[in-house]
Amino acid sequence: MNTIIEGRGLKRYYQRGVETVKALDGVDISISGGEMVSILGPSGSGKTTLINLLSCLDAPTEGTLTVAGKSVAGLSEDQLVEVRRGVLGFVFQQFHLLPTLTVTENVELPLTFLGRTPDPKRTKEVLAMVGLSDRAGHLPNELSGGQMQRVAIARALMIEPKILVADEPTGNLDKKAGEAIFQLFKRLAAKGLAIIITTHNQAFGYEADRVITLEDGKIVKEERPAKVPS
Amino acid sequence: MITRYLTLSVKNLRRRLVRTGLTVAGVGLAVAVAVSLGGFVRGYQGAISKSIEMLGFQVMIMAKGCPYEAATMMLKGGTGLLYLPSDTYDKVKQDPDILSITPIFVGIAQKQASSIRDEGAEKTFTVINGIDVPSFVSMKPWLKFKGGAGYAGSKWFEQTSKSDIVLGYEIAEYEQRKVGDTFYATITPAGKPDPVRHEFKIVGVLERTGTQDDGTVFMAIDAARLAFNRPKQLTILGLKLKQFSAVTMREFENKWLKLPEVQVVSLQQVKTTLISLVGTAQTMIAAVAIIAVIVSLIGVINTILMSVYERTGEIGIMKALGARRGDIFQLVWLETLMICLMGSILGSIGAWVGSGIVEKAIKSITNLGVSGSIVQITPDIVGYAIVGSIALGFFAGLYPAWRAASMRPVDAIREGAA
Repeated sequence: MNTIIEGRGLKRYYQRGVETVKALDGVDISISGGEMVSILGPSGSGKTTLINLLSCLDAPTEGTLTVAGKSVAGLSEDQLVEVRRGVLGFVFQQFHLLPTLTVTENVELPLTFLGRTPDPKRTKEVLAMVGLSDRAGHLPNELSGGQMQRVAIARALMIEPKILVADEPTGNLDKKAGEAIFQLFKRLAAKGLAIIITTHNQAFGYEADRVITLEDGKIVKEERPAKVPS
Repeated sequence: MITRYLTLSVKNLRRRLVRTGLTVAGVGLAVAVAVSLGGFVRGYQGAISKSIEMLGFQVMIMAKGCPYEAATMMLKGGTGLLYLPSDTYDKVKQDPDILSITPIFVGIAQKQASSIRDEGAEKTFTVINGIDVPSFVSMKPWLKFKGGAGYAGSKWFEQTSKSDIVLGYEIAEYEQRKVGDTFYATITPAGKPDPVRHEFKIVGVLERTGTQDDGTVFMAIDAARLAFNRPKQLTILGLKLKQFSAVTMREFENKWLKLPEVQVVSLQQVKTTLISLVGTAQTMIAAVAIIAVIVSLIGVINTILMSVYERTGEIGIMKALGARRGDIFQLVWLETLMICLMGSILGSIGAWVGSGIVEKAIKSITNLGVSGSIVQITPDIVGYAIVGSIALGFFAGLYPAWRAASMRPVDAIREGAA
């Protein structure tokens, strides 16, 4: 499989007063297209920091990082945006849907920033993919948590990204909704999308192709769970 | 693309309708103040100009004193009149440079509860103009008699008449008098202690002119002189020159300043001076309007900043989804511009609708010495107000838009989730 993210010796240090916080301390990671990778670890282990680096929301203090063939180490915020645009899709624990926009408008929002005109056919396809065809005209406050997360996934998919980054995507969902989201991720990965997920939920995490466990900013374990035949 | 941004901005403004509404109302109020004051300056200048032009003269000859006080007294009436010897008229009218000339005697009479409107009220005053009808009317060809029931048979009085009068439009309306009615006035003759009550007969009522003539009582000049016991005096000589220019005016002025008791006043000069005085007041008025607009803009900045801070998480997400700094900047900026645009439109409409109230309020506070509308809200004033507030909104939106655009997505998302 083709490598879409390649990080070597990734470090992210923060200065808190006189103390240097080593949020990420020398991580080597490689992710391929079509691969679903879970990042596990306790709070403060560096999961979110790692995912922020891999999704170009932040830049590493040290190390080399290549995303979709572009080296991103040392890039400014404006340069990181250019790497993200059209390549990365995001899903967050809090959903972060715009409350004033309908499901369709939320899903089409990233296209506005990419200067693309929404194709209603494509919007319908994506909404059908996440099982929300009947909620297209609804506002976020008319949806359940699971439905809102699926809207967020549809929004991320709308731009046909190469990488989908999901930070605690099931954190605010019940078990059933969480399972549905992970099943959806597996289907998307099967179509060639690289998916990176952080989660506290071990059971969900082990649904992935690969599980990386972090502690104190370092990878302490990397596993490939045995696949249960479906 | 801009349509999508506009939709996003409008939807966001609608999210907090009360707050947006109050901010728009603040801008609207400031714009209404600015437009009303602008309309007042424009209207007042126009009214001064019209009132002076409708005196019908190019030049006035009057007793020495402040020419501007004299001119404004001609416009608004008043006490403290100065008088010329009546033979001045005989001397000046011989001047070959004069096209036409009319003598006017001005006196102030007291009305004593002569109508139902004055019952129980304080004593009120009215301006009586003693005129020479043929020459006066030739100066003011626009004077027409009112028609309709109660006004039929209107005519000018005979020059020899002692008791016939013609009323201006407003005084006739105010006193509820028609042709054939009686008009009572009390005049204190010069040099005599006791006032004399006169009973005049109304022989005509004039159409509205929009000038001080509307509030004036006209009578034969000799009768007025007699009533005020000033048989050998007059107040003003109004005249037109055959050729009127700065040069001919200067020559004419020099010629007649030789008379020790007179001054020659060009009404063009009076108009220019009065308008320049209004221009000085305009600076003060503009300062008030600018302060009102600045206060409202601070409100706009505050509102938009609050909105930006409330949406920190959303802004972070939009940046994560691919929005550049410029995209976020435009979104926030558009919201500011829309608030200013809506406020300026509503404020202009409010000022236009309320201009009558403003005019009544100003006129109730002070007599500005002019007739007609003194608040004129014209399309160009409204245009300046709208363009001006959008331009100010342009600047007001810079800081909130910059703050929003400068947010790091990783920090914004974290703060938004907190």
